[in-house]
Amino acid sequence: MRRFELVTPASLDDCLRALKGRGADVKVLAGGTDLIAQLKVGMVKLTTVIDLSGVAQLRVLDGDAQRGFRIGAAVTARMLEQEARVRAALPSLSESGALVGSIQIRNLATLGGNICNAAPSADMAPPLIALDAEAVIASAGGRRTVPMASFFKGVRQTVLAPDELLVEFVVPPTGPRSGGAYLRHTPRRELDIAVVGVASQVTLADGICRKARIALAAVAPVPVRATAAEQALEGQPLTPQAITRAADLAVESARPISDQRGSAEYRRHLVRVLTRRTLALALERATS
Amino acid sequence: MAKQVLSFTVNGEHVEVLVQPYVTLLDALREDVGLTGPKEGCGTGDCGACSVHLDGKLVASCLVLAMQARGRSVTTIEGLAGDGVLTPLQDAFVRRGVAQCGFCIPGVVMAAAALLAENAKPSEQDIRYAIAGNLCRCTGYTKMVEAIAEVAGTAAGARAVGMKG
Amino acid sequence: MATVMKTTRDVKGVGLSIPRPDGPEKVTGKVQYVADIQPRGLLHAKLLRSPHAHARITRIDTSRARALAGVRAVLTAADMPYLKKKAPTRAHAVLAIDRVVFAGQPVAAVAADEVAIAEEALDLIDVEYEVLPAAVDPLEAMKPGAPPVAESGTEADTSEAQAHGSVAGVAAVAKPAKAVNISQQTKLARGDVAKGFAECDVVLEKTYRVPMVHQGYLEPHAVLAQWDTTGQLTLWASTQGSFNTRSEVADVLEIPENRIKVIPVECGGGFGGKIRALCEPVTAELARVTRRPVRYVMTRREELIAGMPAPQVIIRLKTGVKRDGTLMALDGEIVIESGAFSGAVLAVGAVFLASLYKWPAFEVRGFEVLTHKPSIAAYRAPVAPHTIFAIDSHMDQIADALGQDPVAFRLRHIQRDGDPMANNQPWASNAGYEVLERVAQHPSWKQREAWKKSAPTGKLRGTGLSLGGWLGGLQPTGATVRLNPDGSLSVLTGQVDIAGTNIALAQIAASAYGIDIERVKITTGDTDVAPMTGLSAGSKTVYTVGAAVLQAAEDARRQTLEIAAKELEAAVHDLEIEDGKVVVRGVPGKGVTLASIGKKGNLYMSKVQPVLGVANPAFSQQAPAFAAQLARVELDADTGEVTLHEFVVVQDVGKAINPLACEGQMQGGAVQSLGIALTEGLMYDDKGRLMNPSLLDYRKLTAADLPSIECIIVEKPSPAGPFGARGVGEPPIVPAPAAIANAIEDAAGVRLTALPMTPEKIALAIAHR
Repeated sequence: MRRFELVTPASLDDCLRALKGRGADVKVLAGGTDLIAQLKVGMVKLTTVIDLSGVAQLRVLDGDAQRGFRIGAAVTARMLEQEARVRAALPSLSESGALVGSIQIRNLATLGGNICNAAPSADMAPPLIALDAEAVIASAGGRRTVPMASFFKGVRQTVLAPDELLVEFVVPPTGPRSGGAYLRHTPRRELDIAVVGVASQVTLADGICRKARIALAAVAPVPVRATAAEQALEGQPLTPQAITRAADLAVESARPISDQRGSAEYRRHLVRVLTRRTLALALERATS
Repeated sequence: MAKQVLSFTVNGEHVEVLVQPYVTLLDALREDVGLTGPKEGCGTGDCGACSVHLDGKLVASCLVLAMQARGRSVTTIEGLAGDGVLTPLQDAFVRRGVAQCGFCIPGVVMAAAALLAENAKPSEQDIRYAIAGNLCRCTGYTKMVEAIAEVAGTAAGARAVGMKG
Repeated sequence: MATVMKTTRDVKGVGLSIPRPDGPEKVTGKVQYVADIQPRGLLHAKLLRSPHAHARITRIDTSRARALAGVRAVLTAADMPYLKKKAPTRAHAVLAIDRVVFAGQPVAAVAADEVAIAEEALDLIDVEYEVLPAAVDPLEAMKPGAPPVAESGTEADTSEAQAHGSVAGVAAVAKPAKAVNISQQTKLARGDVAKGFAECDVVLEKTYRVPMVHQGYLEPHAVLAQWDTTGQLTLWASTQGSFNTRSEVADVLEIPENRIKVIPVECGGGFGGKIRALCEPVTAELARVTRRPVRYVMTRREELIAGMPAPQVIIRLKTGVKRDGTLMALDGEIVIESGAFSGAVLAVGAVFLASLYKWPAFEVRGFEVLTHKPSIAAYRAPVAPHTIFAIDSHMDQIADALGQDPVAFRLRHIQRDGDPMANNQPWASNAGYEVLERVAQHPSWKQREAWKKSAPTGKLRGTGLSLGGWLGGLQPTGATVRLNPDGSLSVLTGQVDIAGTNIALAQIAASAYGIDIERVKITTGDTDVAPMTGLSAGSKTVYTVGAAVLQAAEDARRQTLEIAAKELEAAVHDLEIEDGKVVVRGVPGKGVTLASIGKKGNLYMSKVQPVLGVANPAFSQQAPAFAAQLARVELDADTGEVTLHEFVVVQDVGKAINPLACEGQMQGGAVQSLGIALTEGLMYDDKGRLMNPSLLDYRKLTAADLPSIECIIVEKPSPAGPFGARGVGEPPIVPAPAAIANAIEDAAGVRLTALPMTPEKIALAIAHR
């Protein structure tokens, strides 16, 4: 790891002041599971690192199923995995957190870090998108809110300006009779990265699917919503045939490449399989 | 570049060392505090050889900056056994001939200790997932799982594994 | 599960499941590896490596790097005039002179006060390359006109094959002109192959591929070098062979061997990847130039990019059999990709392919091919897993095509003791047949139909097995056994204890001398003090060093008894060693303690010699050892994911000196074998650059991917091994790829012939079925 200066703000305001006017050679550090690894292999070269561990408000985890949740950007994947409220109300987000790396990684990796690193395979992105979550972004000049579905611009690119910090996520209440799930395929059971990840969230009313959200990871430069599949489900009863058809339509929203982790053909195949399985799980959870 | 004072608790004792800001917790423990139990197997969090407990949580110390540990509590493998007496977990590892080259063992023991502190009666599946972040090339993991299961069978809970810090 | 037993008067050591004595140090993190040694004034080394697989170096400018504060030395080949333009081995290519032949080849070396400064110094070294076409695929590289890797006249480096003592009687064959990258070639033949094929009923032809894999040791290569003021070099090395390291470093640096001391520090895994020198010469040079201790520890990324992996092997196999199951003919072509330097164990593959089962007519052609990739070393039973993958996948398919039971078919044709191997040497005594019989008795094999039928919706279940083994390594070695003044024994070898062999050696010494194992200490000495010792590799440590220790212990016992005989005025053949005393059989109360004999050997003015048993044997007889593995799998029919429900290893160890240690080897080797089968492979792009240089994408199996490995030990004593022991380390890495491929075919009806058998390959094979 090449040398850099370290700044350790004690508050959010300190942090925003430190970010003001900075360029691409300065980054914030949360869990370090992406940034430190990237610094070590020389993928990223920085003059200054801003350590967020002193900014307590980034670790807030507030809310419940009725009110929805405020999840601080520095909440760890392990917290999402284990926190009972999150497991009960937002199972897809909890499941995605539980899949990141290993326990050693999950105790460090943060929701904000996973999102801001913006790898196409980021596990916690599809659930946030499927839950209609929003990112709250702060800078010395103020705050703004961005829907997760619009947060990503390209591989490792987000809407964040160099002087902005992602502070927290707002996840609206899912409402009654709503269920979600996240599944991914990896060659190993732990310490791995998604070849394809799918999050589904369905909300029912009177036996009909009122709202459907399906988000895909690792099949495009950014996480994508399978909107054609969603539209095919909304207003319909969620029969096995409807789910199968939605799974086929989800494939059309995917634009996977072939790389060392998987071929495009296999990824499309997995989109179909995992969409079907997450929809079935989401339905089960919505009706239980 | 100026060194900074890192003041923290290591294996129950207050420690102060001077470190560069870009040094990892793993390197600070090994070179400045003198605890070479945690190892570097990959440097990127993919092997678990550097596993320590940070405020009681199992982490990959190769991905933590040393200065991020200021004011916090770290336990390394050296901090498990008290007064030279092996914990039941370490004793089981010895009796069952678990260690071969030994390089992964400090990390595995830390992962196992973290598991048993949280879950006194883990199933085989629980055990395997608890050490899944620790790669071992010599043993094939079977004897590790058996040793941990043995301890879980006799352990009265977290205190049996003698965790400190 | 082996339990720990106390020693008894009757059984001194051999056969007991005694835990390794270094266990407590390992579980408390006290054992020191090279990177843990922190001498004062330590400098850190880093190497600048070529990004190109094949290029000419037109300019190197290190001035900016030298100017960086904290940098103590920057070296290029220009600073080492003794370097040969045509490096005979990888170790000799310390730093590239004017050409690089693999991506990752070292071009410059830096020593600095801190690792971070050394890394920054690398960024400041300017190198200009003229990129040249690279030979990246071995089948393409074999063709005339391919980009040449070595200058013409490269000698085949068979030191590898010799280190593994593998195969005699396999002649080299002259290579065809213009195939510039074929560096070794061999051919074995018997009978009339064309006639055999003409007369057979069923022909099966398949091509099997195994990519390069990394040995995967957790501790990366590491070395600490320091010179003293008299010109003596000390190397603390993570190595499988301190004497080999010494010889190689001496040869590369052109200094006498006795000016180098190699201290074998605890080695965090080797498996064949640390049998050759790699970083030692350049680190020694940095230490010489800076006059400071210098430590070089490879990063994991460097290990994957520029280690010494196992070769890629492509085997085209064609067999002909009669409908009644008679074997008629076998034709095989084995291509072993050696990377930029020659060193493959070519003959082993050729012999295993045609020797395990009795083919009346066969021709096997073997080729070692050079490519612009990092050169290979060994990996636990080199080339055997690849060869067995081919022949044993094939045997299963043939049995299936004939409607015959896969075990019965193999048993009918498997070699027996004395049958001619493919090189016409007789098969040494082995338990291949017995091991295969034993695995077929396992309930999971007997109940395989029920397992298959029990598959839940969406899943497929199957069972597969395979038989493989290793011929057994040989290397001359030495050992001494000393009686101490307190009656304890000190055993000295130069053997690096990687597999826990030291406890087995202690057990052998205890049993051979006649003393309790708690009274025996084994020391691994450095190259200045220890007797010459070979590599800790090739499954030969217990077999050869154990034999040396046995002989040295017997020698010490003889000397002890002769001293006692004089004192007790008895005949040597009437004496026994019991409970730390030499006693006269049948005469209670008449005896002399070992301690008194030991003391007398060290007393001022004493005329009694100090007991020093010495042995320095060389060996000519290999002891082949076989292992069979059985896999019970469940596949997700949609994703192709494999769940391994059960995995069994049946292995002939000759004599289990330490059953606990044998199990550890069987389980560890099995999981390495499963990695080759399911998840591992170094992947290169079309420019010869590694695409997966991290442990995220170079996938080794985790505990969550595996079941507990069941071990069944079989003992068919070897004629020459200590107490009949055979080598244990290598056989278990051999069979799993074939066993898994056979299990997948049983479950899903698809036959995979390219490793690793990833979920993608399985899912797409099922989808296209």
